[in-house]
Order: sequence, then C-alpha cells, then structure tokens
Amino acid sequence: MHKLLHSNFGRFVFFIFLGFIIFLAGNRVDELRVYQGATLAMFVVAISSIILLTGYSGQVSLGHGALLAIGGYSAVLARNYWTLPIWVCFAIAVLVAAAAGAVLGTAAARLSGPYLAGTTLALAVGLPSIANQFSFLGGEQGLLFDVGAPPISLGADFSPYKWYFWIAASAALIALWWLQNIVRSRYGRTWRAVRGNEIAAQLAGIHSGKAKTLAFTVSSGVAGLAGALLAMTIGTVSPSAFPLTLSFSLLTGAVLSGVTTLPGVMIGAVTLVATPEISHAISNRLGNSEAVTTNLPGLLVSALLILVVMLVPNGPVEQMRSMRVRKNASISR
Amino acid sequence: MFTFIDTVIIGLTSGAVYSLMAISLVLVWRSTRVINFAQAGQALLSTYIGYSFIGLFDSYWIALFFAIVLGAGVSALIEILFMRTLFKRNTGPIAGVAPIIATLGLLGLIHGLIGIFMGGKEAIIRPPVSNVGYTISGHTLALSPLKLVIVSAVLFLMISLSFIFTKTNIGLALRASAYSPEIARLAGVKVDAIRTLGWALAGAAGAAAGMLQTPNGTGALSPDSLEFSLLLVLGFIAAVIGGLESLVGAVIGGLLLGLVLAFVIMYVSATLPFMTAFLLLLGVLLVRPQGIMGRKVGRRA
Repeated sequence: MHKLLHSNFGRFVFFIFLGFIIFLAGNRVDELRVYQGATLAMFVVAISSIILLTGYSGQVSLGHGALLAIGGYSAVLARNYWTLPIWVCFAIAVLVAAAAGAVLGTAAARLSGPYLAGTTLALAVGLPSIANQFSFLGGEQGLLFDVGAPPISLGADFSPYKWYFWIAASAALIALWWLQNIVRSRYGRTWRAVRGNEIAAQLAGIHSGKAKTLAFTVSSGVAGLAGALLAMTIGTVSPSAFPLTLSFSLLTGAVLSGVTTLPGVMIGAVTLVATPEISHAISNRLGNSEAVTTNLPGLLVSALLILVVMLVPNGPVEQMRSMRVRKNASISR
Repeated sequence: MFTFIDTVIIGLTSGAVYSLMAISLVLVWRSTRVINFAQAGQALLSTYIGYSFIGLFDSYWIALFFAIVLGAGVSALIEILFMRTLFKRNTGPIAGVAPIIATLGLLGLIHGLIGIFMGGKEAIIRPPVSNVGYTISGHTLALSPLKLVIVSAVLFLMISLSFIFTKTNIGLALRASAYSPEIARLAGVKVDAIRTLGWALAGAAGAAAGMLQTPNGTGALSPDSLEFSLLLVLGFIAAVIGGLESLVGAVIGGLLLGLVLAFVIMYVSATLPFMTAFLLLLGVLLVRPQGIMGRKVGRRA
C-alpha cells in the first residue's frame, strides 16, 4: 500500500478511490452535512494553496483572501456576462488568479519574511474595497453567482447542495492530486531547496527568484479555484465575503494541518468547518449573548493556533512522523 | 488653498500616530526579530485599561499614564510567557513563520476576549482638549488643540525613545543584544531581560498610539472600530516602508503614509485608503526592497 502511494499511477488510483468513498458518503448524509462537505472541500483547496506556498517554498502570505476574491469575482463575471459553462468559469478563475499571483509573485520574490507578510496583508485589506469603486463589481451587495441547476440525468430529487458538493469535492480531489504530483516533481524539489537554504540552492544553479515566483503563481491559481468554490457555496461574491479574518483563518488552517505536510490538510479544513458549530454549542450554554456569539469562533481558533504553535509547531502529521523516526532509531540501536 | 493646508495638517496628525505604532513594531523587531501582529491588540487592551482609569480618576492624563505603564507591563509579560518558550521550542521549517503565526493568534485571542467582555458596552473617550479648529480670517482650520497635543506627544515620545536608544547604556545593550546575542551575553549583557525591556518599551509606545488614536477618530472605543484596523494595518505598513530597522525610518514611513492617504481621501476617493496604502508600499518596496531606511543585507550565513 505504502509503495503503491509513491508511484504516480498509484496516487491516481488512490484519488479515484477517495472520490468513490466521498461519493458514497455524500449519498448517505442530510442536506446540512452535504453543504458543510462543500465548504470543507473549499477549505481543503484554499489551505493546500497556503501549504504549498509557506511549507514548500517558505514564503508567508497573509493575503490569500485577496487571491480568493480575485478567483471568485472572475468566475462570477465570466458566468454572468458570457454565461459560460460552469467548469470554464472555474478554469478562468484559476487562470486570472494565477496571472495576478504571477505579478504579485514577481514583487514577492524580491521581498523576504516580514516585508512580504506586510505587502500581502495590505493587499488583503485593500483589494476587496475596489469592488465599491466600480459599479460592474456590484459594490457592497456584491454579485449573485448561479452555477445552474444540476443536470436532469442525475434525477429529479437531486438537490442543488449535493450538486455544489459534487463540484467542490471533485475540484478539491483534482487540485490535491495535481499538487501532490507537483511537490514531488522537479519543481517541488527546487522549492524545498530554496526554502532550506537559498544561497546553497543558488550555488546549485537554481534561480531562486524564478522558483519563488512560480510557487506564488501556482499557489495563487489554486487559491483562485478556492475563491470560485467559496462564491458557489454562498451563492454571491461581495467584499464582505473576503475579510481579513478569512486570510488569517486560512493561515490558521495551514498551521493546524502542519505547513509542510500536504496530506494533513484535512485536519485544518475540518477544524475550520467545525469551529462555528462548536462555538455555537458553547454560546448556547452560556446564554447566547451577542458579544459571546460573535467573538467566540475567532477566540477558539486563535487559542487553538497558539496551542499548536507552542506544542506541535510542525503540525500533527510531522510530529507523528518524527516520533516514528525516533522510535525506529532507538529500536535499531 | 485652505483645503490643501487642512489636508497637510490631517495627514501629519494621523501620520504621527501611525509613526508611533510603527515605532513600537520596530522596537520589537530590533530587540527580538519578531513582527508583533498582536501590537494593535495590545494597543486596544491598553486603551481599554486607559478608559477604565478615566472612569476612576476622571482625568485623561492620569489615564494615559496608567495605560502606558500597564501597556508596557502587558507587553513584557507576553514576551516572558509566550515568546521565550516559542523561541526555545521552534526548529525546522516552521521556525521562520512561527513567530508571525503566534502573534497573529495572540491578536485574535486579545481581540476575542475584549469582544466578549467589553464588546456590547458603549465606550467613548472624550478628547482631553478641544477638537475645534483654530479660526484664521473667517476660516476654521483643521488644526485644533487636540491635534497639537497629539503631534507634540508623539514628538516627545519619539525623542525620548531615540535618546534611550542612542545615548544611554540601556540603549547600547538593546542594540548589542539584537545585533549579536551571544557576544552581548559574553560582554555581560543580560540579554533576556533586555529583550523583555524592548517589548515593554514597544508596549508603551503602542499604548500611547491607541490612547491618542481613539479621540483623534470618532472617540468611540470598540474592538471592531475602524481606528484599530487602521492602527493594525497602517502602523505595520509604515514600519515596513520605513525599513523595520530604524526609528527614524518608522517616523518617515508613518508621516509619508499619513500624508499620501490624506491627499487621496481629500482629492480622489474616500473609499480607497487601504488600496492606496498597498500601492504605496508596493511602490516603495519595488524600488527599495529593504525599505527607505533599511540597510541592505550583506553576506548572510
């Protein structure tokens, strides 16, 4: 099994199998869970774009919310103005966000650590406000996004939420499969080399600027896909759908997943989806005052974030792996 | 003409507050190589502390004093409780990112706690002196006693911090332990204590920024107010524009940002302050990736 996962074909088969399980699971749960499943798939895509950028190429972005916004808006505009098929809209979202990421990445490759964090932070706060400036972007109300009814062939009682879930889940599977392959390719190795020691990588003949820009571009494209998925699940795009807290919670999700371990991405995504439910349950106990209800989710996520950074800084998956390595080492000794 | 003068005055006043915030970020960066995103959260907390002292003593000035002192205390505590453990534990690929993430988590924690305990209540800090502008030949300028107080308070803090940094033994120890902790330790500097002191000074500057920013805006104090997102984002941008390394750079960055934003809001559009800040930042960094006053990193490793 383990060996199979390390071959290209093996991973392909594994993802098909995963898709089949998700398909079966999607048929067995109620509407709310299906909707949460779609949100989960969106978070998986968004978080893996951050893991790729931060964990594999060593750049920090506090502004992935802005790239999600670019993807979401371009998908909606393509759908509303040209009524293109839905998968073309998603492809456009990926391409436009990747193009924006390439421009930003060119600037980003020159910046290090805090300077990059600052630039992306400013972008995340600044970009959504552009929607208020141009009327075709729909201002504060935003634009409606209608992906259309599910195909007739799927049956009359096939709900739209299930349709969202199908789209989101297959997009997430394809994106993850592709990312898995890219981090194991020559490019992935190049990024890890630049992250590990930039000067050594340059001495080995790697153009570190180009490598960083490419990583930023790929990550932005994936973030654009996540943005389109987000727009689909909530049915609209508006500046308030992409607040600064979205960027922060995506980063939180990446840290919870372990920034260097793409397979851990589910941990972060499940946490982000579950947090509102848990905090809802807690605030019910505490008597539902407005201050508690609005602030508790953020508080829980932040507390969790601090705990993870203090206790398992490299993420649970990496922690288990290093524990296993230590154990094996002590046995062989 | 009057509009122009008013814009300059408004820009310089708000720029002065951003400078103060930027200074606190630079202090933390110089003493521990951490960007403290929680600084705005700490400023918010200190401002709430100040607000409760206003209720107690009915004087803005006493409250300002307590806010600054307690703000410094809170900041020192954070360094001792969080940052020391964080630095000891962190290795591996996350080491570069961990401080950023930890301080973001801290920001969320402070923000959430204040929101839960103080969020529903209305809190207003009235300006200690009049905010009505002086009148010259029938025209009311934007220059008011409050704005004068703010600018002079910022100037005073800036000069005293620069004095501490460049002329005293403490300043020398601060610079030495940031430059090379091992050698400073060998030379007898208590590096851990000095780092905590750097955080405390930053906490004091942030507290002052919060206490001055609130009455300069609407005066309403709330964890979600625009004033504090401005402090969070613009203080940080000002520090980055200035180059993160120098106090003078932070001041230049803050004033530049304040002026540019004031002119854009007055003459172009009131809805785009953050986007303008982003473009200004990008422009500066494309020309000078290390910021205006930052030094180019020579050979590393």
